[in-house]
Amino acid sequence: MGEGLVVEGLESGYGEMQVLWGVSLRVNRASMTVVLGPNGAGKTTLLRTIMGINKPWKGKVIMEGEDVTFVPPHEKVARGMTLVPEGRRLFPELTVEENLLLGAYTRISTRSTAGYREALSQVYELFPRLRERRGQKAGTLSGGEQQMLAIGRALMSEPRILLLDEPSQGLAPKIAIQIIDLLSNLRRERGLTILLVEQNIAAALKNADYAYVMEQGVIIKEGERDKILHDESIRQAYLGL
Amino acid sequence: MPFADLVVGTLLYGALLGVIYGIATAGLSLIFGVLKIVNVGHGAFMMIGAYTTYWFFTLYGLNPVLSLPFSLAIGALLGLAFYYPVVRRVIDAPEMASLLATFAMGLLLQEAARMAWTSDYRGFSWEVARLEIGGVSIYASKLIAAGLALLLLLFHYVVFYRTKLGLAIRAVVQDREGALVVGINVDRIYALSFSIGIAITVASGSLLAIYNPVGINPYMGAILTLKAFVIAVMGGLGSIGGAFIAGVLFGLFENVSYVVLTGIEGVQPLVLTRFIAFTLLLVILLVRPKGLFGR
Ligand SMILES: Nc1ncnc2c1ncn2[C@@H]1O[C@H](COP(=O)(O)OP(=O)(O)OP(=O)(O)O)[C@@H](O)[C@H]1O
Ligand SMILES: [Mg+2]
Repeated sequence: MGEGLVVEGLESGYGEMQVLWGVSLRVNRASMTVVLGPNGAGKTTLLRTIMGINKPWKGKVIMEGEDVTFVPPHEKVARGMTLVPEGRRLFPELTVEENLLLGAYTRISTRSTAGYREALSQVYELFPRLRERRGQKAGTLSGGEQQMLAIGRALMSEPRILLLDEPSQGLAPKIAIQIIDLLSNLRRERGLTILLVEQNIAAALKNADYAYVMEQGVIIKEGERDKILHDESIRQAYLGL
Repeated sequence: MPFADLVVGTLLYGALLGVIYGIATAGLSLIFGVLKIVNVGHGAFMMIGAYTTYWFFTLYGLNPVLSLPFSLAIGALLGLAFYYPVVRRVIDAPEMASLLATFAMGLLLQEAARMAWTSDYRGFSWEVARLEIGGVSIYASKLIAAGLALLLLLFHYVVFYRTKLGLAIRAVVQDREGALVVGINVDRIYALSFSIGIAITVASGSLLAIYNPVGINPYMGAILTLKAFVIAVMGGLGSIGGAFIAGVLFGLFENVSYVVLTGIEGVQPLVLTRFIAFTLLLVILLVRPKGLFGR
């Protein structure tokens, strides 16, 4: 199994405050890896630093064998990696379809629509709800629909590596599980490499291949899904069992 | 002049001037809307536009209308020249940094203009026809200036709502992080928006010189900045359409106020008009901080 995404000794933070203290992880190609951890552990900071939104202070980010540590976010998107950010970060005053078109920003030109038509119909197939609401402003969608749009928008860039920051946040449990199941299908059907940060640990672990546990900016535990699932301290801390 | 003609003339001139104020403020609003910085040096960029038209006309006899492409180009280049070394560094800094930086940019232009061209007041006279509109005789040049302002507004609208660049700009305005993760080069969008905003601002200085080809001097920017602030606040900061409508209202207000106050003995109409304008600004800020048309 090839390397999709490798992170080595990553450090970063905000201003003077260091948040990541040397995080290393590895996401195999076409696998789903989940990062668990309490509030404030630095999970969002980790994804933002991998993406390049936060500047890495130290360490490396390697994408399919290529060092992309200091590649700016817009180029990472063009190279096939994107992030579904915490809080979705949609364009609220633009329509659903405009949001989706912007997802394909690195591939669209005003002259040719060929680049995104195919991707657009695939996203609509995946989320028929979005097709129904395509002329509606994104800000008027329900929470679940907004999350579908955030994922759909990310898929529009046809990524090979997808980072997701708590996609089930604020959703009813049933919808949260649907979203995570859908990600698992995408991985299987399209060979997507997925790095998922989740609070909905039961659902995440059910679908993941590998898991890391992060606390205070460092990885404190890692292992195959079953190992983490049966780890006594994790069951107590995160699963409430 | 009969009273009715005075009224028509005052309103007509007010509206024409207002259209130019509107486009002048659109540049300020664009920059505020996208980069979230207030360009305190705004008027100095308009001053550069006024000189551009003046010099091309005086030195080469160039038709002032044809100086517009030059103003736009000079503005676009000035925008880029200030963006990369200065503006880009203050976007994420505390507000005071961007205020000081743009204030310094204005001073720099102003003093450069004074050194290059002295602080003399300059003017030119471009002989074009006068037209009769409703019994009022009006300079064609003023109509042309207002027409060009509308053309610039149209250009601005097309860029904003009909191009990929415009879609990207709107995306950055609505969610910068969202823009980053869809692959928009946000830094480049800032640079282009600043450049377009300054280009429109410099061009509006040219239009002002065409409308009123006197009083061109290095210090003319200060009052233009203040007027643009009043209009921008009236229209709702960052709203370009709002700025435009507010510009027309302000032009009307200014002209009417001037004409009315001229009739009162012992009053300096220009000074008092300014005073009323800033009282108006204060009232709007207190009562409708999001502008007259803000939600
Ligand atoms: N923009 C910011 N500026 C300064 N500090 C920040 C910023 N964002 C996060 N932090 C701090 O960095 C630390 C890690 O935050 P981060 O958001 O990465 O954690 P998290 O694991 O994603 O938490 P959560 O589960 O609540 O989303 C926290 O102490 C937080 O206060
Ligand atoms: Mg987080």
